[in-house]
Amino acid sequence: MIEVSLHKKLMSANGEMKLNTGFKLEKGEFVTLYGKSGAGKTSVLRMLAGLLLPDEGRIAMNGTLWLDTNNGINLPPQKRNIGFVFQDYALFPNMTVKENLLFALGKKDKSVVDELIELVELGNLENRKPQTLSGGQQQRVALARALVQRPQLLMLDEPLSALDTEMRISLQDYILRLHREYELTTILVSHDVSEILKMSDRMLILEEGNIVKDGKPDKILLSKDVSGKFQFSGEVIGIQKQDFIFIISILIGKDLVKVVADEDEVKKLQIGDKVLVASKAFNPIIRKLP
Amino acid sequence: MNILKGEIKNLSVKDSLSLVYVDVEGITLSAIVIDTPQTAAYLTPGSKIQLIFKETEVIIGKGKENHISLQNKLPGTIGFIEKGDLLSRLVVDTEAGKITSIITTNAVNQLGLETGSEVTAMIKTNEIMLSE
Repeated sequence: MIEVSLHKKLMSANGEMKLNTGFKLEKGEFVTLYGKSGAGKTSVLRMLAGLLLPDEGRIAMNGTLWLDTNNGINLPPQKRNIGFVFQDYALFPNMTVKENLLFALGKKDKSVVDELIELVELGNLENRKPQTLSGGQQQRVALARALVQRPQLLMLDEPLSALDTEMRISLQDYILRLHREYELTTILVSHDVSEILKMSDRMLILEEGNIVKDGKPDKILLSKDVSGKFQFSGEVIGIQKQDFIFIISILIGKDLVKVVADEDEVKKLQIGDKVLVASKAFNPIIRKLP
Repeated sequence: MNILKGEIKNLSVKDSLSLVYVDVEGITLSAIVIDTPQTAAYLTPGSKIQLIFKETEVIIGKGKENHISLQNKLPGTIGFIEKGDLLSRLVVDTEAGKITSIITTNAVNQLGLETGSEVTAMIKTNEIMLSE
């Protein structure tokens, strides 16, 4: 279990902001930090990692103090037993995939490197240099590298936002596999509703440095205020006018659906909007796929 | 999307389904939902509620006497018609409020519908969603 309490004055785009957060994470929990940019998400991760010092704070990992500003305790990042993955992969360009992992390992037992290479399926790429790999492959290397020290806490700061949808979905599966295999406690920063619903057990919503919501993602994100039982969240990717009706194309997960809408509904919509799509459970038909 | 505001009069519950009767301006409309008072707290007599249904699910009958299985019948007059090549959009003024319907232009022509025609707007019970 990790117990966190962090307080710091931060400078944000809107001026000074006071970050005041406190939460407890159980071992094995997968938690998403959600909030607008500037809400303090990355600052929380950086303070957990030991890259940013709070004005006042305490972090205890399974009873071990990583930070206690009242008693002058502040372990450096390398002693905190964490893995960190950012949006940019930050791999060493002059080293192969395997060398990148071995470098992060230091003098420890090398078997974990082979195990990780197998888990993220990089076996046939292990002797390649990062710049010859796709974005998704490089992010898999970064993920494996974050885990060679066998951390207890894995932190992912929008790791998939630079990837296309298909690559994202595949990376999400790798992350979940590693999270379970190594019994990690994982904190993800993400803005993608379908990603949050798929990956996390719990979400914390940050607003101007304060946690304003803490709960199960489906309870928080999925609207229960319409009785329709056929509900999905998606993103508007097309709006096409036909006579006086509109055909709205919506991406739900990796499936494209189309919904007919009236002018009044469309007035409020624009491409890129996140929307709830709801129908009654009486309408859809089900066919078994071959 | 048609939205009507009403108040739950009563409901019949059987296993996980509820048939909900809602009073809208003195007219009773019914909706069937996969929820019960145990799963949705708003399912209780007296609750203020919205009924939501798509324009494309509104059936138009000519006149006021329609011998038909549909339970939700709203008599009124056509206040507005917009005819497209394939589809037409009608707005019916009823006691429950304005109801928009999208039906085929063929149907509009066959029934000879025009502004001022007396019609009944009808919605199947299983096409109405409820919202708090």
